[in-house]
Amino acid sequence: MNSSVRRVAVLGGVRIPFARQNGPYANASNQDMLTATLDALVEKFSLERETLGEVVAGAVLKHSRDFNLTREAVLGTRLDPATPAYDVQQACGTGLEAAILIANKIALHQIDAGIAAGVDTTSDAPIAINEDLRRLLLDLNRSRSNAERLRVITKVRPQQIVPELPRNAEPRTGLSMGEHAAIMARDWGLTREEQDELALSSHRKLAAAYDAGFLDDLVIPFLGLERDQNLRPDTTMEKLAQLKPVFGGEDGTMTAGNSTPLSDGASAVLLASEDWATKRGPPVQAYLTDAQTAAVDHVHRREGLLMAPTYAVPKLLERNQLSLQDFDFYEIHEAFASQVLCTLKAWEDPVYCRERLELEEPLGPIDRDKLNVHGGSLAAGHPFGATGGRIIAGLAKALADDTHGSRRGLISICAAGGLGVTAILEKP
Amino acid sequence: MSDRYRQLANTPIGRMVTKQVGLPAPVELERYQPGQPVISGPVLLGAAPHSRLAAPATAVLAAIGAEAHTALDDEARGAAAEARLDAAVFNPQAAPEDERFKALVFDASGIGSSEALREAWAFLHPTIRRVRRSGRVIVLATTPEECGEFPAAIAQRALEGLVRSVAKEVGRGATAQLIYVAPGAEDAIDSTLRFFLSPKSAYVSGQVVRVGSPKALPEKIDWERPLAGKVALVTGAARGIGESISEVLARDGAHVVGVDLPARSAELEALTSRLGGSSLELDVTDHAAPEELAAHLLAAHNGVDVVVHNAGVTRDKTLGRMSEEQWSAVIDTNLTAPQHIDRELFARKAVRENGSVVCVSSIGGIAGNAGQTNYATSKAGVIGIIEAFSSTLAKLGVTLNAVAPGFVETGMTAAMPVARREAARRMNSLAQGGLPIDVAETIAWLANPASAGVTRNVVRVCGQSLIGA
Amino acid sequence: MSVRELSASPNMAAMFARAGAALIPGASRLPFVSGGAREIPDLTLALDDVAIDPDRLARYDRVCGFSLSDSVPATYPHILAFPLHLALMTNGSFPLPPIGLVHIANRITHHRRLRIGERLALRVWATGIEPHPRGRQFSIRTEARVADELVWEEASTNLRRGQGGGGGDAGPRGQHHRETGSLEPVATWALPGDLGRRYGSVSGDLNPIHLHPLGARPFGFRSAIAHGMWTKARCLAALAPGLPERFTLEVEFRKPILLPSTVEFLEAPRDGGIRFAVREAARGTPHLDGDWA
Repeated sequence: MNSSVRRVAVLGGVRIPFARQNGPYANASNQDMLTATLDALVEKFSLERETLGEVVAGAVLKHSRDFNLTREAVLGTRLDPATPAYDVQQACGTGLEAAILIANKIALHQIDAGIAAGVDTTSDAPIAINEDLRRLLLDLNRSRSNAERLRVITKVRPQQIVPELPRNAEPRTGLSMGEHAAIMARDWGLTREEQDELALSSHRKLAAAYDAGFLDDLVIPFLGLERDQNLRPDTTMEKLAQLKPVFGGEDGTMTAGNSTPLSDGASAVLLASEDWATKRGPPVQAYLTDAQTAAVDHVHRREGLLMAPTYAVPKLLERNQLSLQDFDFYEIHEAFASQVLCTLKAWEDPVYCRERLELEEPLGPIDRDKLNVHGGSLAAGHPFGATGGRIIAGLAKALADDTHGSRRGLISICAAGGLGVTAILEKP
Repeated sequence: MSDRYRQLANTPIGRMVTKQVGLPAPVELERYQPGQPVISGPVLLGAAPHSRLAAPATAVLAAIGAEAHTALDDEARGAAAEARLDAAVFNPQAAPEDERFKALVFDASGIGSSEALREAWAFLHPTIRRVRRSGRVIVLATTPEECGEFPAAIAQRALEGLVRSVAKEVGRGATAQLIYVAPGAEDAIDSTLRFFLSPKSAYVSGQVVRVGSPKALPEKIDWERPLAGKVALVTGAARGIGESISEVLARDGAHVVGVDLPARSAELEALTSRLGGSSLELDVTDHAAPEELAAHLLAAHNGVDVVVHNAGVTRDKTLGRMSEEQWSAVIDTNLTAPQHIDRELFARKAVRENGSVVCVSSIGGIAGNAGQTNYATSKAGVIGIIEAFSSTLAKLGVTLNAVAPGFVETGMTAAMPVARREAARRMNSLAQGGLPIDVAETIAWLANPASAGVTRNVVRVCGQSLIGA
Repeated sequence: MSVRELSASPNMAAMFARAGAALIPGASRLPFVSGGAREIPDLTLALDDVAIDPDRLARYDRVCGFSLSDSVPATYPHILAFPLHLALMTNGSFPLPPIGLVHIANRITHHRRLRIGERLALRVWATGIEPHPRGRQFSIRTEARVADELVWEEASTNLRRGQGGGGGDAGPRGQHHRETGSLEPVATWALPGDLGRRYGSVSGDLNPIHLHPLGARPFGFRSAIAHGMWTKARCLAALAPGLPERFTLEVEFRKPILLPSTVEFLEAPRDGGIRFAVREAARGTPHLDGDWA
């Protein structure tokens, strides 16, 4: 057994443009989008008939029939059907966690190359039957006699016929993620203006990235969509200011403009050992050098739902003997503008750093010019499982393209359930 | 004794009427109940740049488990982190209107010029209307005489005008105080800040208190019973304010030695036995009284820690009609007796180190009052005692302060003619009379061993009375 | 050869009405009802600028088992051309009425991948009537171009049973279905009773024979039969991952699939291609033989 740990190379990624809920991908299933995206990655890296070590992917909103979503998607691609696959799910951290899992197996010599991917559809969402009805139907299935069946059937009530749509709510608090983010925004005294400014900047940066051709080999058209549908290159502070608050009541500061919309989309990233990369030719864009997850207790309000990345990052920094300022790019998933702003404020705050993060000194401010330089989820949209792959591919390319001596990028993704997934990408 | 107007004004209809007619709207003041926290409700802390008192203030807030808030970019936030105070964030630009505070605490000690007074405005301007009912506004500052630089001294002195006006503006039973802290006395503010944050200071408003460097601070203190193991002498203990003082000092752990006239022996006995203290029947004006007192304290308790000169009388007459007896009775009891007692106690080293002497003065002694020339003279003289002896006693590690009650609901005020009583009751920022407990709580704060830095203060318990202000 | 340029896809309902009219005895003498003439007219129908509607494609993908993607399945242009096929056959000068025709073979040549967003120019014409052992056959030919590039071709062969049959060849593909011994079953498909209606609504082929038992009985079937082009599309979906861009997909339709039914899909590699077949699962009744090259 080889006990050394190998460096893990990010060779690149692709995604389909992200669509808004019930937009151009209204008819596309998770499997459709994942298959198309994986196949586009196969094409980009000439992986036709290749047997890869593993493909790991996941979706947050998943039909029960998609128990083997990733494997089924692999079978729909030009990859060799002998490529193993499995599903993961860690809410909005799914895509990044998938990459961490692949990376760890590469690092441990268990596989040489693999694909990490993620997908989500809020349009083709699974609808569950009413929980009472479901139990009755299961009883019916277990019934042995007609009399017994009849007895079960007579228990069905009209209100049980109403199906249950998946809700974007925390099971333990009953609050939507937006409501939780509104609590955070209030806790941190965020103004509407600073949230709108971040949203505006996200749109501008993404539009500029498209205009500069940065996304040409990262985004492949799908079902007639060529750019992220949510992108509003011409939005302004005035337009954003007109939107009504959607979370946090009438005085709330969070609007549809500074929150991510429900979206559909998929992304995929190819990771490999350096040996594999050298043999196969694609240049190494970046190394995935370390990762850290964390969770907070949002239930008893001890911490904001989306604050877990603030806990993960200091551990990552300590292990790698880095300061928060030692990065050239910061990719902080913009679930809500408030999430990003709370995270940054928390890292600057002596009280939070001391009391919550148990740090002697605050992590300090970051250079905002290095934040989400090619736009973020506020502009691109956020198909839950696909955001990790979007960020990894974009950051790896940014590091590879950069000629100004950039060395390192930080990824920070918050997730439902009080989770946070973070990672470091470094330039070769 | 009951304040029917206040009760009426706090009914729904009463509130409507007082608002429409523009009558004063006194609120039911919150008062301290044993076992309750120092402050119940969020505290907003702020500091002007270069201030030095945020650190001790945050330490106090952390110690009392206050739900503290600060602005993210505030100077005080670093201090909060140091004090391990898990302060929440407040941003006046973003906070909803219903986000209100039980107390605003502002460290103005960094203000070094009149221009920099703007910092105080910047803190209070967006927050003054966010003060809750019976809330607190506390400004911490540097004693002007000890500022060194003139512009700083002037600016620090200017804060008095600000705080006294805030006390008049803030309303709804809220109070405002200015605490001057001498350089080096930062660690001595604990008991004072706790007192002014808590409902114990319900009827104290618009006051300026000076905290200096104490000779020594107690190493450890039980804030529920700060006077545990201490002996407190209270003169005039049997009735009214004296009774309340005895109760509060006993609550705080002191063994109370109650003194009153033999004629009140039954009341006195009942009180001290209820409080687990002891009683001494004597007339403080008796020639032998000081000696008798000192001997008793030394014999029974090996000394005394807290001396409260509460015994007092009135003999109201306009000066032209006042007899010599009327004059002398008041001066002897209110002003001469305390001096004689103190002289004897200190001569015999009966007052232990880290002890305190508190005299009861009066608004009348500050402002004067028609028909009370004798009384006002005696009470102004009490302030003279403070000014004369406090520095001497400080060397012995004993503090010397006075409280000056305003209109307090007692048997004495209940006997006043209705019109005068109503006028006197309402002529203060809280638009109501105080209670004996308010005076007692103030004395208990001054008697607290942790108040060792608080001396030579005359603290009015008057709801910021318009008289003598 | 006359070419008629159409400005829009023909109205299917009207055409089905006319196709139905041809069943009425003597109606074929009317000038606008097909069945009157003896020879296939020398007519090409042309329709330009045909867009691919993503919603319709999604429904097609779903009913045929394709993964929804930017690529258009090779069988999809058939349904875009189908209105032209019908227009050709319901033209008054067409010798054989469309209802009652049996689709016996279909060959598609896929020159390159077609994507959503591309616009097709379609050309449709029919070849001359030939004798068949069981009647008479003819083919409808379709070409699809993008700009001037030929991207897709189809030959769809139909049989008119009886009437002047005899002679002729079973066709050039008559032999390979006898080689199916080496085919291995790879999948079992349960086809629901409403499959014809579902495919019919997506494809526009609302021939009653596919829709309901009542519509099928006049033609001698006890229940509705599956569309041949659905079966072919389903085979392509099964083969799809890993197919290169250029290929020819040729099938011969054997016995109709009576719905509902459970069928097996069989395949076997062949030099440079794949042979495949669809059989009734229980009895092995042959439904389709195909060849991918």
